[in-house]
Amino acid sequence: MTDTKSSPAPSKLEKENPASVIIIGAGFAGLGMAIRLQQAGVTDIVILERANDVGGTWRDNQYPGAACDIPSNLYSYSFAPNPDWSRSFSGSGEILDYIHHLMKEFQLQRYVRCGKNVVDVIFDEKSALWKATTSEGEVFTGRAAVMAQGPLSNAGFPDIDGIEDFKGHKIHSARWDHDYDFRGKKVAVIGTGASAIQIIPELVKEVDHLTVFQRTPGWVMPRPDFETPDWNKKLFRKMPAAQAALRQVLFLAHESMALAVIWSSPLTRLAERLGRWHLRNQVKDKWLRRQLSPSYRIGCKRVLVSNEYYPALQRKNCKLITWPMYKISHKGIRTVEGVEHQFDCIVFATGFEVSNAGTPFPVKGLGGRLLDDEWSGGAQAYKSINVAGYPNLFFMFGPNSGPGHNSALVYMESQLDYAVKGIKKILDGDLRTLDVKPKAQTQHNNAIQKRLAKTNWNSGCMSWYLTADGFNATMYPGFATQYANQMKTFEEDDYMVVPAA
Amino acid sequence: MAKIDLDKMLEKVKATQWSLADIDWDAPGAELITYEQWPKLKDFMADLMWIEHVGARAFAAMSRKAPTETLRQMYSYFHAEEQRHANAEMALMKRWGMLEGDVIPEPNVNLRLVIEWLDRYADDMPFYILGAVIPMLEIALDGALCTFLLETVADPVCHQAFERINDDESRHLGVGFTVMEMQGHNKTTIGIIKMIAPIVDPRLLLGIASYVPLLNKMRDNIMDMGLPEEKLYAAMRKFEKIGGRTADGRRNPWYQIIQTHGKFVVNRSNRFYHAPVDAAVKLTGLIPRRMLPAVPSWVKELTWQPTA
Repeated sequence: MTDTKSSPAPSKLEKENPASVIIIGAGFAGLGMAIRLQQAGVTDIVILERANDVGGTWRDNQYPGAACDIPSNLYSYSFAPNPDWSRSFSGSGEILDYIHHLMKEFQLQRYVRCGKNVVDVIFDEKSALWKATTSEGEVFTGRAAVMAQGPLSNAGFPDIDGIEDFKGHKIHSARWDHDYDFRGKKVAVIGTGASAIQIIPELVKEVDHLTVFQRTPGWVMPRPDFETPDWNKKLFRKMPAAQAALRQVLFLAHESMALAVIWSSPLTRLAERLGRWHLRNQVKDKWLRRQLSPSYRIGCKRVLVSNEYYPALQRKNCKLITWPMYKISHKGIRTVEGVEHQFDCIVFATGFEVSNAGTPFPVKGLGGRLLDDEWSGGAQAYKSINVAGYPNLFFMFGPNSGPGHNSALVYMESQLDYAVKGIKKILDGDLRTLDVKPKAQTQHNNAIQKRLAKTNWNSGCMSWYLTADGFNATMYPGFATQYANQMKTFEEDDYMVVPAA
Repeated sequence: MAKIDLDKMLEKVKATQWSLADIDWDAPGAELITYEQWPKLKDFMADLMWIEHVGARAFAAMSRKAPTETLRQMYSYFHAEEQRHANAEMALMKRWGMLEGDVIPEPNVNLRLVIEWLDRYADDMPFYILGAVIPMLEIALDGALCTFLLETVADPVCHQAFERINDDESRHLGVGFTVMEMQGHNKTTIGIIKMIAPIVDPRLLLGIASYVPLLNKMRDNIMDMGLPEEKLYAAMRKFEKIGGRTADGRRNPWYQIIQTHGKFVVNRSNRFYHAPVDAAVKLTGLIPRRMLPAVPSWVKELTWQPTA
């Protein structure tokens, strides 16, 4: 995303005719979008992917132990069930295989253009087309555009002095170095979030010594993870309805967790008790337990699930450090208790850059308006998917669409179907623009923010869900069912519709 | 000492960190410790190190209870900084050949009792009680002990280390007194009574029962080493003076309790106080070591090594 100034060779410009839809990103969202469009009869699609392979999150997060926190039967598309999940919670490799399977099954390869790193997306008012320019100067145009680049796709590093000075090896969890030999090494892991608690139990088996640097302890829940027996796979293959029924059960079970995780209720206390029991059951040392005890309400930050994390921390070759870090030197990490902890390798399991502006590249709408500017005080959209002034543009995982308690893919499916409706209206109705009314957007957001004020996310802890000012533009304050209902209807009255001349 | 802007203070704390590795522990000067000084200094350093460590644990409890995010972060830094002081003092002991092998010096029984109490109950204590006790411990013990040390020890590395330690401590005290005043701000009579109420909490009574003999024990130890008693008392009076400089500070009942107690400690002729407390020191001295519970694992985090 650097080379924007050099003027591209003219031959490269607009080398393809305008597509009906351009999709940015070939992860779960982008590919799901293509499948749903294809099923609705739209096949004139271009998917722009910056990497050399599809898969998004699950292509990037291939660190040891990477797995999904949601049962696979729910973390998959209902329109493409997989009877062969090997476990209740699948590893990232298996999820990536599922994505590749989607590619094959729905013949998506024809839409995907890999190695196309989008640097800006501009609405051209003359032609009423969205133009996506790549770092190599190629321009792709489409009547509608779908932003499926993912909210958590750029690796984030902690704000500690001297990261550049470290002379040893550095690895970010989302850009794993599979060639690095950990055997016999002294290794640090910074972070104790969702990625870290998966990496640590795997890494501790390989390295000579592992030191874990924790900033804030999270709530860790036991994980009911089982291998799928063969008879179960056979059953799902023969009777897809059985799998659909299980999915429904899992869905409802997760829905009920909203009562614990999203709002403060007696169930919240119950969930906290379960978390404390899990800690007490797995950690015998009182001080270590204190270090691992969260001091905020469950749900305020992402809830973690693991049976292996606490035991891993207590292995002889592992140590948890909770002293604040103040500097990274060329040999290691300096903490405030005055010790320099030296390492061969530092693993940053510090999550992702959450762009408050919502997009990692400039998006220009009507009258040259810049999304970055409009969202500088906190992102907002209409039903998370459309933004006034940016016609014919659909956001996947846009503002306030994040689930805290249920499968992201459940939310995604409602977004995909909503986008299909909008795009069909544009194409079938031969519309020039379909643009949400500012008033509808404001009303929607006022209601969302009012509801958010009562949630655990806004209960006082700091998390990536909130901007530095404490504005929550990330999460959806409700059940997945409510979200799905919100996305079910396409209120045409909330849109300004301009037919093609 | 004017009232402190806590947000700015936190930034300053974060920006002025140091490590044991910043000091050359092998630099010349260790030989300046005299033959007569050595054994006394050894005991003195061990006590000092343990007081820092106990202070660290108290800050850890305060971090949990802090009323604001700024204070929560501040105290988690102070917790680590006190640990750093203990580590640095241990590094000095190592330099002066006072560590047998790499073993941490044993804390005395009164310290052991305080450690045990902190481990069991500190996290349950109201913020404002620790918030008043800690400045007293810091100003009296740390303050008096550190000045005495610098007056009697010529080793430049010791001065180097304590220059940094004192910089940290002055920030701890500044924050400590500001917080004490915050706790007294706008308090009604009912609010004040509510603040005093925990004094009948048996857990707190146990805490008082281990804190009070510790002070007398430390006084005795310090006298043994040749620190004029008056210096310790002067430091304790500083608590009364600074803590009571504003109406808010004076309205904090725990300031009043701690400073009144300070007066008892300072007044050697108060036999009603000193006779039973000195007896308690003697009595606790009789507790066989094996009767004491195992030290909590946070004690094992101490290290004299600049790198790990």
